[in-house]
Amino acid sequence: MAATRAGPRACEIFTSLEYGPVPESHACALAWLDTQDRCLGHYVNGKWLKPEHRNSVPCQDPITGENLASCLQAQTEDVAAATEAAKTAFENWSQLPGAIRAQYLTSLAKTIQKHQRLLWTLESLVTGRAVREVRDREVPLAQQLLHYHAVQAYTQGEALAGWEPMGVIGLILPPTFSFLEMMWRICPALAVGCTVVALVPPASPTPLLLAQLAGELGSFPGILNVISGPATLGPVLASQPGIQKVAFCGALEEGRALRRTLMGQWAELGLALGVESLLLLTDTADVDSAMEGVVDAAWSDRNPGGLRLLIQESVWDETLRRLQARMGRLRCGRGLDGAVDMGARGAAARDLAQRFVHEAQSQGAQVFQAGDVPSESPFYPPTLVSQLPPASPCSQAEVPWPVVVASPFRTAKEALALANGIPRGGSASVWSERLGQALELGYGLRVGTVWINAHGLRDPAVPTGGCKESGSSWHGGPDGLYEYLRPSGTPAQQSCFSKNFNYDTFGLTVSPTLPAGPEIGPSPALPYGLFVGGRFQAPGARSSRPIQDSLGKLHGYVAEGGPKDIRGAVEAAHQAAPGWAGQSPGARAALLWALAAALDRRKSTLASRLERQGVELKAAEAEVELSVRRLRTWGARAQAQGHSLQVAGLKGPVLRLREPLGVLAIVCPDEWPLLAFVSLLAPALVHGNAVVMVPSGACPLLALDVCQDVATLFPAGLVNVVTGDRDHLTRCLALHQDVQALWYFGSAQGSQFVEWASAGNLKPVWGNRDCQRAWNQEAEGAGPELGLRAARTKALWLPMGD
Amino acid sequence: MTPHPAKTKRFTERICNGGKKEKEREICGERAVFISLTGAGRGRAMFLLEELHGSRVGPMPCYSPIGRITKLAKDWRLADLSWISKIQVNHPAVLRRAEQIQARRTVKKEWQAAWLLKAVTFIDLTTLSGDDTSSNIQRLCYKAKYPIRDDLLKALNMHDKGITTAAVCVYPSRVCDAIKALRAAGCNIPVASVATGFPAGQTHLKTRLEEIRLAVEDGATEIDVVINRSLVLTGQWEALYDEIRQFRKACGEAHLKTILATGELGSLTNVYKASMIAMMAGSDFIKTSTGKETVNATFPVAIVMLRAIRDFFWKTGNKIGFKPAGGIRSAKDSLAWLSLVKEELGDEWLKPELFRIGASTLLSDIERQIYHHVTGRYAAYHDLPMS
Repeated sequence: MAATRAGPRACEIFTSLEYGPVPESHACALAWLDTQDRCLGHYVNGKWLKPEHRNSVPCQDPITGENLASCLQAQTEDVAAATEAAKTAFENWSQLPGAIRAQYLTSLAKTIQKHQRLLWTLESLVTGRAVREVRDREVPLAQQLLHYHAVQAYTQGEALAGWEPMGVIGLILPPTFSFLEMMWRICPALAVGCTVVALVPPASPTPLLLAQLAGELGSFPGILNVISGPATLGPVLASQPGIQKVAFCGALEEGRALRRTLMGQWAELGLALGVESLLLLTDTADVDSAMEGVVDAAWSDRNPGGLRLLIQESVWDETLRRLQARMGRLRCGRGLDGAVDMGARGAAARDLAQRFVHEAQSQGAQVFQAGDVPSESPFYPPTLVSQLPPASPCSQAEVPWPVVVASPFRTAKEALALANGIPRGGSASVWSERLGQALELGYGLRVGTVWINAHGLRDPAVPTGGCKESGSSWHGGPDGLYEYLRPSGTPAQQSCFSKNFNYDTFGLTVSPTLPAGPEIGPSPALPYGLFVGGRFQAPGARSSRPIQDSLGKLHGYVAEGGPKDIRGAVEAAHQAAPGWAGQSPGARAALLWALAAALDRRKSTLASRLERQGVELKAAEAEVELSVRRLRTWGARAQAQGHSLQVAGLKGPVLRLREPLGVLAIVCPDEWPLLAFVSLLAPALVHGNAVVMVPSGACPLLALDVCQDVATLFPAGLVNVVTGDRDHLTRCLALHQDVQALWYFGSAQGSQFVEWASAGNLKPVWGNRDCQRAWNQEAEGAGPELGLRAARTKALWLPMGD
Repeated sequence: MTPHPAKTKRFTERICNGGKKEKEREICGERAVFISLTGAGRGRAMFLLEELHGSRVGPMPCYSPIGRITKLAKDWRLADLSWISKIQVNHPAVLRRAEQIQARRTVKKEWQAAWLLKAVTFIDLTTLSGDDTSSNIQRLCYKAKYPIRDDLLKALNMHDKGITTAAVCVYPSRVCDAIKALRAAGCNIPVASVATGFPAGQTHLKTRLEEIRLAVEDGATEIDVVINRSLVLTGQWEALYDEIRQFRKACGEAHLKTILATGELGSLTNVYKASMIAMMAGSDFIKTSTGKETVNATFPVAIVMLRAIRDFFWKTGNKIGFKPAGGIRSAKDSLAWLSLVKEELGDEWLKPELFRIGASTLLSDIERQIYHHVTGRYAAYHDLPMS
């Protein structure tokens, strides 16, 4: 018999039946680092870039503290070089047929498959996360992402006709992230023909490895460039000329700051902020399964953040008992151990959790910690915080990893109110065995993703994103593709940045207006006032502004709106919004068609008013006719919204819902006083939004004409039109925290201001930045872009089985 | 501790006279008393029971649906079974958990060897074939006594731990053979016998009960009974309860393992309900399947049964055993089952009194793995004795 290999401990283990270490060898990760002489630079233009005289940061094993490699920190020149490479690559890459890009993505997927061990050991080694999660979930998902987007690239010619790639995309990643976050964003960007410069935090080698694997496929250097550098480099990358879009994921305040830095500049900004998730547990749920959902969400190294747990009061005790028992069975340890649930994420994450828990405790919360956790410092045990007073600062703050904050609710209605009262709107799961209740909650939650009786499922075909302070960018599915596309023919976004812009004074005051003479009177006479809450009301300022016609003569007086009027209009819109959103698409369409018919009857008045503004009669008649048609067109599109998706590995559908934004503020352009007004109003209404509109400054009278018909047809408060000083009203709307989105068509200064001011509640802003838009053209005046902007997506996962 | 018949009578009289909505019925002799009480009456009944026994009677119900079960020595009383119909198990979520649990826990090296040896001590070494005769029963019993080659155990320093399988499991007519063989081998491994019209359970109740009694008379100390699936599928929980109670009584001192035949119950929710009823009716073990259905021991089913066992323990303080059976063939499977029980119920369930694995070919695979662990080589077929 061969020599015995058995250790002496077998009999002890036989008695105790404990788990042992299951180490995963990371030799290949170290070997790869050796090929770089343990010094990582940047991967730019298909080759390694290791500039001299740069600071370097050590890349450490977060658990042992062992130095694995040193990473060079990029400087501005490196960022510029990478951007230049991406710009050059874009010219070729974007012109290739989709089939070639598809081929490239497929071969990258195959490369990842061949070298997956290197990928997962490296990722787990440097991030400290459980290797099981990386190996069994993330690496396969990365391949699925590439395959899915390869198909999208292949069909781009037909499916996405009328759209073109934006250009060079800047991608900014947070200090702790999974390489998958990068994959989610580079796959759609590359698929549609964009090229990418990714700025990763120092000491994160996995993106560099991915870039190397992609680069070594040859033939297309420079489509994926990865540079590593400090967070301060983010704005530098974002403001590089030539970067058309910045996709940022990270913390809320950094995103807000970036929004303010980038206002008025070249790049469009897509934000994905915050990491917290939500779980709603009702009393009909399968509680034990829901506990696994909690583990998936917070304690399995799947999500970057913590969890807010809402439990129905009647099952509170039972749930906490089960949860605490379950927590006792969790195992923390070295990420490269194959049998741990949770690894460590370095000192910063641990300190953050510790601070949160201490604060919660000092505010009166109870803290429960359990699990098999090594006592050494980088680990933080799974933590359950309960009895946190609802008004305490901690109960509003974002819950960090690996903390779960539990609080009770009484009824499903209250659960919705509590959940929607959180400023973030990322993802949530609903646990209920009653279909009706689950759907009610799923539809009612204002978040980007809802899972019914599951948590944390992902698929390349399903869009993932958020709303409210979680930002409004999307990845995955069709929505992820549109992030990197713009309608063909639109010019690249212009920079309208002015350095000496004073945000404090823009539109702060209105110059006083004096009577400009007797009103000759628009005929027929218009009702005077602001159209708010379904009727014409006198403005708060009790003053008026004269409107001149094309000959410089007085055309009439309109009311001078102010902050109070905006407040009233937003309130009225909020009251009307739920009822309108609850209407069927058919009902909305019918009302739009009725409005179209009413405008048709008013045709001659409208045309004559346009004529007085200096439009030729024929052109004026054409504009009115086109406006009527626009209303009918959008009405007809009402039915085609949302659809269901089939995804791999899940039995049951995923619904891609298109939900109203809420209250949408629209500042109309000065030109096309009727057509632009109608073209903006129609998509907003048909997608279920309530609107507050500032009509054309030059000729607001036409909008008021339309309002006369709106007053008789639509519910009160659904459409509000406030006339007055455009800059002043824009300021009020942009700074309003309860306006969910803002469309601004006006001056360069105004654009810069709204982008700056909207950082407050991070409302999505869309505008033209002082570019004329051809409202009479189908593509620009009624294109799919408007429909995309007028609603937000929600993915609703419905697993089935019995 | 069994209440004295006279005392029980007096007690029931007192309850009937004192309460409004109280009623009492006897199910099977003196060992079980059903009481249906509501509101305040329940509290007083608890008090009377305490008086009767001179000590506190079990924990008070922890919460409402199952709250009416309480403990009296080894008997269970419950009011009505309507709460059973409210239980819900989410199928897709349980499937996901089942997938995860196999990937999240593994053991290697010495740990693997020790766990495998432990798994041996959980095995109900089984032969349930039409062609069983005394000779292969004898071989089976010998293998049960010496499951792993002695030199391998010596190499692991485990030869003096008395490692045998937990039991041997045979058809009723082979119980005598098994007992004779085990006696000849000089050991007291218990003999388990399947009964009650195994595997379909589609015979008359009278013959099923008789089958149990005969097997016990022959010397079987563990009886694996199959339940009547039609009672589950038609929702006749009370009838199912009554039937298992009768099995329980027929077993006498022998252990009762109730086979739920989960492959034929239709849904996981039914599995949970049937598990609960079987435990309330006094089973010592609940067992997944006969090994003769098309779907046998699977992880999702096991998760549901283990959760039912834990719920029952939380509510009554009684630990009921678990036995997966059918389709467990590889050593790797057996490790997954051990970690499943460890994760869902905890270490206190990892002992032969509370956990068994019903298997026939599993043992030889475990022996092969031990051989590999000790020698570093893969075993040939002829290296290890057959069972």
